[in-house]
Amino acid sequence: MDIVVHEAAEDTAVLECSGRLNMVSAGAFRETVAKVVDGGRARLVVELSGVDFMDSSGLGALVGCLKTARQAGGDLRIAAPSEQVQMVLKLSNIDKILRTYPDGDAAVSTWG
Amino acid sequence: MSPMPGGHSLDLACPPDDVTAVHRFLETVWDAEPTLSAEDRMALELALVELASNVIEHGADGHGVVCSLQLDVGPDSVRARLTDDGVPVEVDPAAATLPDALAESGRGLALVQMVVDDLRYERVADQNRWTVRRGRHPA
Repeated sequence: MDIVVHEAAEDTAVLECSGRLNMVSAGAFRETVAKVVDGGRARLVVELSGVDFMDSSGLGALVGCLKTARQAGGDLRIAAPSEQVQMVLKLSNIDKILRTYPDGDAAVSTWG
Repeated sequence: MSPMPGGHSLDLACPPDDVTAVHRFLETVWDAEPTLSAEDRMALELALVELASNVIEHGADGHGVVCSLQLDVGPDSVRARLTDDGVPVEVDPAAATLPDALAESGRGLALVQMVVDDLRYERVADQNRWTVRRGRHPA
């Protein structure tokens, strides 16, 4: 999986992800998020349009990163999930805790 | 690749192999089975990668694990069998449920249950055997 970090605002970052978010890549994803939060950006938008596969390992990493962001006073939002990612989010009922936005800009601009 | 029509197989030794090999194997199966719908492909890839991840994570017992995946694409359903030489697993796949929303693990088998019609686990001789069946959904 590739992750490109865009520093969208002083406290906000957009993580543009592509590839697979599974047991192979979940650890690197968590580490990247931890670094971004340590660097002062705890409002995170995870852009998933380029992620063509996510499984329970990926979901677990998203939940872990949501906690990391909230502990630092921020939050984590999902943007532009692909069809496969939408299926997994729906099956797992994770939409109760992870808000999904149509694209990265919408997720960033609605942060009050 | 099995000479049987609709039959496909993959052998894995983990490490060094990981679930990337399962994804790549399934890409070759989808290329060979163009009539399988996108919905079926998504469901089967999720189910088989979840099962293989479980085997690699829990079945290895720190010593690595050798496993074999067989996929049989029939006219009405797809059957898959994943066998491994790992330690026995204490699990009732029928009882798999989603954990609390804030849990960071424990969703794998529950997700598999949701996307297949039948999921079974057996210990046969010194091997674990997972079998799944999914009725084909037309495109």
